Amino acid sequence: MMVTKRRQPLPLAVLSTGFVLLWVFMAAFPFIWTVWGSFKVEQDFFSRDSWWFAIEGTRTIARTGSAFTGDGYYGAWVLRDFFSSVINTVIVTVSVVVVSLTFGTLGGYALARSGYRYTFWLLMLALVFRAMPHITLVSGYLLPFFEMNIWGYMPTAIIVLVAINQPFTLWMLHSFFLSIPKDLDESAMVDGCSRFQAFRLVVIPVMWPGVITTGLFSFLLAYNDFAVTAMLLSQPNQTMVPKIASFLGTVQQEGNVMFAVAAVVSATAPLFVLVLFFQRQIVSGLTAGAVKG
Amino acid sequence: MPHRAFFAFIMPSLAAMLLFIALPIVSVAVQSLYVQHERVVTEVETCTPFSGCTKETRVDAEATEKLRNDEPLGRFNGFGTYLDRNHLAVTEIGAILSDNAGFKDTVARVYNLPFYRALAFTLTYTFVVTPFAMLLGFCIALGVNAIPPFYKGPVIFFSLLPMIVTPLVGALIVYWMASSQGILGATLQVLLNDPTLSLKSSAVLTWITLLVYGIWHNAPFSFVVFYAGLQTVPHDTLESAMIDGASRWERIRFVVIPHLMPLATFVGLVQLMDNFRVFEPIVGFSAEANATSLSWSIFNDLRGQVDQLFGSAAATSMLTIVGVIILLSPVLVRTWRDFNRR
Amino acid sequence: MAEIRLKNVSKRWHNFVGVDNFNLDIADQEFLVLLGPSGCGKTTTMRMIAGLEDISEGEIWLGDRMVNRLEPKDRDISMVFQSYGLYPNMTVYENIRFPLRVRKVPKALHHEKVMQAARMVELTDFLERRPAALSGGQRQRVALGRAIVRQPSVFLMDEPLSNLDAKLRVSTRAQIKNLQHTLKVTTIYVTHDQIEAMTLADRVVVMNKGVIQQVGTPTEIYDNPANTFVASFIGSPAMNLVSGDIENGTFRGPGITIPGLQTDVKGSVTLGFRAEDASLISEGGELGAAIYSMELLGEATMASFRLGDQLVSIKSGKEYRAEIGDVVHAAIPASICHLFDARTGVRIARIPGG
Repeated sequence: MMVTKRRQPLPLAVLSTGFVLLWVFMAAFPFIWTVWGSFKVEQDFFSRDSWWFAIEGTRTIARTGSAFTGDGYYGAWVLRDFFSSVINTVIVTVSVVVVSLTFGTLGGYALARSGYRYTFWLLMLALVFRAMPHITLVSGYLLPFFEMNIWGYMPTAIIVLVAINQPFTLWMLHSFFLSIPKDLDESAMVDGCSRFQAFRLVVIPVMWPGVITTGLFSFLLAYNDFAVTAMLLSQPNQTMVPKIASFLGTVQQEGNVMFAVAAVVSATAPLFVLVLFFQRQIVSGLTAGAVKG
Repeated sequence: MPHRAFFAFIMPSLAAMLLFIALPIVSVAVQSLYVQHERVVTEVETCTPFSGCTKETRVDAEATEKLRNDEPLGRFNGFGTYLDRNHLAVTEIGAILSDNAGFKDTVARVYNLPFYRALAFTLTYTFVVTPFAMLLGFCIALGVNAIPPFYKGPVIFFSLLPMIVTPLVGALIVYWMASSQGILGATLQVLLNDPTLSLKSSAVLTWITLLVYGIWHNAPFSFVVFYAGLQTVPHDTLESAMIDGASRWERIRFVVIPHLMPLATFVGLVQLMDNFRVFEPIVGFSAEANATSLSWSIFNDLRGQVDQLFGSAAATSMLTIVGVIILLSPVLVRTWRDFNRR
Repeated sequence: MAEIRLKNVSKRWHNFVGVDNFNLDIADQEFLVLLGPSGCGKTTTMRMIAGLEDISEGEIWLGDRMVNRLEPKDRDISMVFQSYGLYPNMTVYENIRFPLRVRKVPKALHHEKVMQAARMVELTDFLERRPAALSGGQRQRVALGRAIVRQPSVFLMDEPLSNLDAKLRVSTRAQIKNLQHTLKVTTIYVTHDQIEAMTLADRVVVMNKGVIQQVGTPTEIYDNPANTFVASFIGSPAMNLVSGDIENGTFRGPGITIPGLQTDVKGSVTLGFRAEDASLISEGGELGAAIYSMELLGEATMASFRLGDQLVSIKSGKEYRAEIGDVVHAAIPASICHLFDARTGVRIARIPGG
């Protein structure tokens, strides 16, 4: 409705459109380039002669007869057993999301509905916890976990990721719950529900958008984590990201960098899909904390 | 909500946080006061008929192992670890201050101490990346706000990618492009006409690469928040500013920016916290020779294949936590004041 | 049976007092209205009765049960909320049925009860809709239907009409009054609108700052306000209040002199009278001043005067005309006047024959 009145003078419009185009290029190009390059041989993607080779695939054609090759993917997924770390990632992320949301909705609801002073202090405490670098926490876990013999297992990493995730989850769900009128659960309680029934039967059904958005961010945290999974999981239990980190060194020596490139592209693909389908939720989640908090 | 119901609801979450965030901090504090056992050394006298007896010291591997198993914490060292060469380096700093050849020399020598090296990069990264990423994000938000609605969706989609991508993976992608055989590195070599140019070889270039990567990675967050903020700028105020005769820039300066200020504080706070723990880019760029960060130092101590230096990692962790609290203190103090005023 | 008894009920948050020492007995089948400005503690009082708010001190009895420690669901009450609190993910039918479902009423009875309630609130045509597809008035009726479906012993209504437009408010008001009469259920109704209070209530409780100001029938609080707060809160326009001094039965204020009042009071007082009790006359009278403003109300004309720093309104017939600035006179006989203590605002009782 404001569009017509806001028209910019031409030079400014050109400048700002150009700037946006430049930014989109900067944001997207590395990904497009790497996806494209992952189907080439190393001599093309890391060409000593000209990066034009990477586009045309000169050496790839010379080596394999076609401009595209799946060798990198074959090497990573089959030879280097990237597949098992993919399964580990699925187990870890799904568990983290489910447990985080269960704990987070309960806690966030309590924080949003209690009028007492200590909720404020709990939220502040969560903020301080949120600021703790993950690696410092990891350095606190290692020795006790060794001693208790629970180091290296997936459940350990899962509960640690859940805990690290809680401060953020609590803040986010707290602000979502605040946006749901108190009248709703109160009328449920007057109608005959206990507090928990009101939460389950009445509040959660209208909370789905908030729960999904928060779940997305829990997923991202678990999926993107490096510090915790790299330090707390034993070799066979490793998830994708530490797996990539651990075979970086060896593949470089063996001349199989393309394995790593293929693995990196494989690990990024699910995130692409995620943004494609949940762009609106991600944007609203990022702003929820800012606008309300 | 009555206290009992409240605590029943929040218990799982609170227990998880106390067990795996609060307790580890205590654990770190305790560990930082200990240092690993020295190897148990036994003296063995070997006598040969010709050269007489020689005393030889040998590491008693078995006894060392046993001692370490019995007392995994190590031996008590008080604040020794904090003050040693790898952390605050009190003695070394004292020596440098009392005997140096001018300011440059002092800086260079302090920079050679591992802790200060890591601190220097961490702080530079935090305080360069945060404002620049916010500025870039704001400019993108203004630009995107002006393009036709049809294109906004795709533009936002691509803009989200640098932020959403796994930090280590994002760093690797950029690193490969920036290496001397990658497209960016090669192009730079051609442009600057210097075939030996390599972003990895010089400390300055490594720092710049990491900072640029940081801005690229962080700008989308500011963009999204500011963009959402722009949608809520009050039309009435904008229109009355137009009627009052404000130019386009004046409208941004006096209406839009004040409206976005609370958001900017929020974004700034979040980004300061996140950038202070910069870690993955250093691993991804294999930049440890030229740039290290506090988080990376801890990681490095813990990763040791033979000896994991728990004491050393814990001391760095404690110093990092102090840093975080200093960063957060303005916010905490302000909230405390606001809260008391209520 | 559902008398409600509140004994010394108080509500405090840290250092803020929400409700202070509230004592009241509410008879079975009574329609009681809690009236006061926002923040006066009326809603808090109702929420304590509902069990949605802890009670800091005192006891609440519903019938012969002390309910302080009971959950809301165990108190046998139902409540209509200001924003209705409808469940957006359920249809109208499901919304009304919800109380029966969670209270484990035998399934066979559900349909009949829901339909009966729906008929009473005239919603039978909308049963399959969701709340988002209803108008404000219809949503309001869903909330009412949900409240009556299981025949509780007490109805609580928290400003149920405040989100409706003026016209709908009048018809829904009548509907609520009629429902309560048919169902014969003790009802507590919270509002800040004195017209709602006057039209609906058997008895009105006027509250301010957490303290009861006056309890009485609508006529009592209109005719004999207990203090200046009630006097200035009830009636439209509110009672005129003029401060001045009284001596030997004669009140003197800025531009106003009224003889013939009680003689046992002396010193500074606040004098009150209602706009419709006084009348404008051409000569003499107790008040003579320039008109500050004229308002045509349709059925009457309202002239207002500035006396010192107070505005005084006097109603006149609809044909009355005068210009702003004209000096006119008004008759304010002693018989229509109320006296209040200038410091405490409490009513000064009229001595019989005084």
